[in-house]
Amino acid sequence: MKAWVLHLAIARRKWVFWGLALLTAVMVAQLPRIQIDTDPENMLPADNQARIFHNQARETFAMHDAIVVGAVNNDGIYTPESLAALKSVSDFAATLDGVIVQDLMSLSAVDNITQEGPGTIRFEWMMKQVPETSEKAAQLRSNVERLPLLFNTLVSEDGKAAAIYVPIIDKNQSYAIARQLQAHIDSLSSTDQWHITGLPVAEDRFGYEMFVQMGISAPLAGLMIFVLLFIFFRNVPFITAPMIVAMATVLITMGLLIGMGFTVHIMSSMIAIFLMPIAVVDSVHIMSEFADRYRPGMSVKEVIKEIVGHLFTPMLYTSVTSTVGFLSLMLTPIPPVQIFGAFVGFGIMLAFVITIVFIPAYLVSLNPATLDKMQQHLPDETQSKLAGAVRKLGKLAGSHAKLWLMGFMLIFAFSVWGISKIQINDNPVRWFKQDHQLRVADRVLNDHFAGTYDAFLVLQSTTAPNTAINRALETAASSMSSASANWLKSLKTLGLDQAISAIDDKLFEMTDSTDQAALEQLMMSLEQINRDSKVFTQPEVLEYMAGLQAHMQQSGLVGKSNSLTDVVKTVNRELRSGEQSDYQLPATANGVAQALLQYQSSHRPDDLWHFVTPDYQQSLLWLQLTSGDNQDMTAVVDLVDDYVATNPLPEGLRYDWAGKAYLNVVWQQAMVAGMLDSLISAFITVFIMMVILFRSLVYGTLAMLPLTITISLIYGLIGWIGKDYDMPIAVLSSLTLGLSVDFAIHFLERARDTYRNTGNLRTALQVMFEEPGRAISRNAIVIAMGFTPLLFAPLVPYITVGIFLASIMAVSALVTLIMLPALMTLLQRRV
Amino acid sequence: MQRIRLLAPLLFAMALPASAQDIDAREIVKQAELAAYYAGDDGRSAARMLIKDAQGRTQTRQFIILRKDREDGGAQDMMVFFSRPSDVRNTVFRVVKQVERDDDRWLYLPGLDLVKRISAGDKRTSFVGSHFFYEDVSGRRTDEDSFTLLSDEGERYVLEGKPTDPASVEFNRYVVEIDKQTKLPMLINFYQNGDQPYRRVEALKIENIQGHPTVTHSRVSDLQSGGSTEMQFRFVSYDLGLPDDIFSERSLRNPPTDWLTLRD
Repeated sequence: MKAWVLHLAIARRKWVFWGLALLTAVMVAQLPRIQIDTDPENMLPADNQARIFHNQARETFAMHDAIVVGAVNNDGIYTPESLAALKSVSDFAATLDGVIVQDLMSLSAVDNITQEGPGTIRFEWMMKQVPETSEKAAQLRSNVERLPLLFNTLVSEDGKAAAIYVPIIDKNQSYAIARQLQAHIDSLSSTDQWHITGLPVAEDRFGYEMFVQMGISAPLAGLMIFVLLFIFFRNVPFITAPMIVAMATVLITMGLLIGMGFTVHIMSSMIAIFLMPIAVVDSVHIMSEFADRYRPGMSVKEVIKEIVGHLFTPMLYTSVTSTVGFLSLMLTPIPPVQIFGAFVGFGIMLAFVITIVFIPAYLVSLNPATLDKMQQHLPDETQSKLAGAVRKLGKLAGSHAKLWLMGFMLIFAFSVWGISKIQINDNPVRWFKQDHQLRVADRVLNDHFAGTYDAFLVLQSTTAPNTAINRALETAASSMSSASANWLKSLKTLGLDQAISAIDDKLFEMTDSTDQAALEQLMMSLEQINRDSKVFTQPEVLEYMAGLQAHMQQSGLVGKSNSLTDVVKTVNRELRSGEQSDYQLPATANGVAQALLQYQSSHRPDDLWHFVTPDYQQSLLWLQLTSGDNQDMTAVVDLVDDYVATNPLPEGLRYDWAGKAYLNVVWQQAMVAGMLDSLISAFITVFIMMVILFRSLVYGTLAMLPLTITISLIYGLIGWIGKDYDMPIAVLSSLTLGLSVDFAIHFLERARDTYRNTGNLRTALQVMFEEPGRAISRNAIVIAMGFTPLLFAPLVPYITVGIFLASIMAVSALVTLIMLPALMTLLQRRV
Repeated sequence: MQRIRLLAPLLFAMALPASAQDIDAREIVKQAELAAYYAGDDGRSAARMLIKDAQGRTQTRQFIILRKDREDGGAQDMMVFFSRPSDVRNTVFRVVKQVERDDDRWLYLPGLDLVKRISAGDKRTSFVGSHFFYEDVSGRRTDEDSFTLLSDEGERYVLEGKPTDPASVEFNRYVVEIDKQTKLPMLINFYQNGDQPYRRVEALKIENIQGHPTVTHSRVSDLQSGGSTEMQFRFVSYDLGLPDDIFSERSLRNPPTDWLTLRD
């Protein structure tokens, strides 16, 4: 088949060129439809339980994504000037389209509840007018510090920073809104330091940086590869071929991804830079050999046919193993990782096909004079620095085989130890570089405030009142006339409150006294059921929440927690004396309900629904964390689990987590578990393929050893250095397996061939460190260097990937070249 | 010719002295205030509110209002007795509406066993969590705004109100439509910036009770959040001869049950 394909490619060159050009053009046409996805939530599938719950909770309690504007003044923020600037920004924000005005939080947009003389309570705006004097500003400070919901959320504990939370409808508008806010701040001549941050802003910046990365790193990688190829072959028309293969592969793959409607996530934004070096590797093999064998006067066709003929199998296998490595990512339950794996896997096979079809056609079409010139200018390989280095390496590897082996075993033990020390942790905010304005804002605001990372603990009643309602309805129906009993059925579709109102109405028009008595009885039962179902007006339940909050505060893991309990206690305090001694829960559920009725009589009645649902069956505890690290969030989850284990929840309640900080933990756990699956399955698949390729268990095992050492060494080092095992590092484990096995395949294939031909292992190994060793080193250099432009990328995960892949490729080539000769020497009788 | 016809109404408007127009508008508003808040010498009604938030979730409030005028268009006593939801039952508001100064307000919370005076401060806060403001229930003083008659064509007067002290309220202006016959305000749109209203008050149903046109169903919509509250009045009656002494602090803890029984 391969001969037929080759024949056709060479005979129908125009078709090959036009076909490739057309396919590329069609796919390039898809590129403008690109849709960037920066939502970390999408790390989880849309039907993930935790994600669904998170979004339900956000909707139920109207917890919108918000732009956070922070103002810091080290001389204190409670000055007429700073407060005036704050009010100005807040008022301005309220006029912007896309802002959810009623949920905007700032000193000038919230209410104060105060005592006004004995026996008098007062509801008023916290800062309707900016205080003109420092005394009034000081009064404002003491007002804020009396209200636990605002203190350390709207103004920091140290009085040096204030925040405005600007909730927005659509996060796609965050950039426009943030820019308008910034312009307004700039027009104020305020001496405070202003920071604009918050998740929507971060996501928007992230999307922008992704474009920058794709715009810079991928072309840089192309340039890097071009330069390397030129150093190797010194002929531009000749090395244009692999560049075309790389470009076509990248463009077709990205076009297909976008054309199929997939969004470009942080993972898939790296597809280009992954495919670029991998795509040229096969061409480099063909061209290396072509440069070696071709002499002026030879038939290009014949040389090509011969080369492709014997490179076909190893090239196919290396492509397939690399593809397996990437496809194994599809076993990870993280959609962006799956898409990345699938499309890079596809791209590698595409590159293989393009290489097999296009390179021969291209070389045959080249003017023979060009090829002759290339031949003449080619430096003498055997005298190059690389050749010397490789030869030296060969000598080193050949001697002291046992010593090498012991060394590798030591390295492996050291690595396994290191792996056991690995810290699993991630934090999307840290994907920005240390000095990025968002990181700075994050640091500053979390320094001053109780925390800008949100987690929500949702408590809810597990028993809906429906059963009790139906029972009450049946009881009533049994003692009523059939007409009235019939009427009762219409109540079932109504809410409890409305059903009670309907009965109330009905009572006025009823004449039959038996029915009336039954209906009155029913109304009383329904009211009782209604009161009982309002779990979160019950003082015991609120008391439990207060206990949990105190426990969290004590642990130091939570900056601050806000709950319904705080609302009720604050209102109760102000209704009574205003003294701290009255910061208590009312004794009865009715007392709680009445205190809340007062809380609702403010300018912002809907604020209550951030903490409890109108049916009082669900309540939300809002936790503010100063760190978005998954480790810290996990510690909070464990803390709550432990607390609930020793202090059981009030009967009929359950708790669940929501909030972005928590979701990050969920997808990270899924990723860690999924990565182990994909690593193991990639390992097994590649191992089986190696056994089939070499038709030998020994060779199959040999092929797997260098990459095993390499991958464990790199991960061991991560453990030892203390670098967090985060998203990029997790993703790389299985795919590097597929890439690094290539060196072993090429080495073992050639070594076995040579050994069989010469019959002497020592000579065979010596030969291996000439041309084959050079080819392997050359490929390792191309791939490793191809990833280094990622070091200039604006986001940390890209840099991690760059360093990581470059080092894993380099180490893997080195380990292959040392370990395999040593092992083959020791296993001489078996190979 | 065409141009002259266009100019004619403009000229006519300019011919009227501005103050005369303002007096005209104020007169209409005064009449509307009397019709909406001072019908009869006293009155009683059972009110029910259905509060709907932007997500369509509902809450209800049920209460009886007793009112007695000290003088028409002047001071007024008012008591609000809550009966539902049952956990706020027997909560009572007492309001003495004043003309020259802020109203006096008291509150009784049985669950906390507490009588509390509420500083009137800002009357544009939510009335017990609904979209009605306290001011919508007790009435906004007409001298707090200046009025312009925008139109008196058709069955309604259309007036624009502007606050004399803009800092005291959250709106810039409002446009109110007053039925010429009943003098009842039928529609009020409130504006902040621009010409999109952010809040709307509507009379949905008018009934004639003892010769007084009475709004028995009304709605306030928060056009920003999408929430709204409907209020229905039943068992409305006027001139019951409510005694003065039931409008007292004593009634907070000891409701005048005789006057709160609707079936009689």
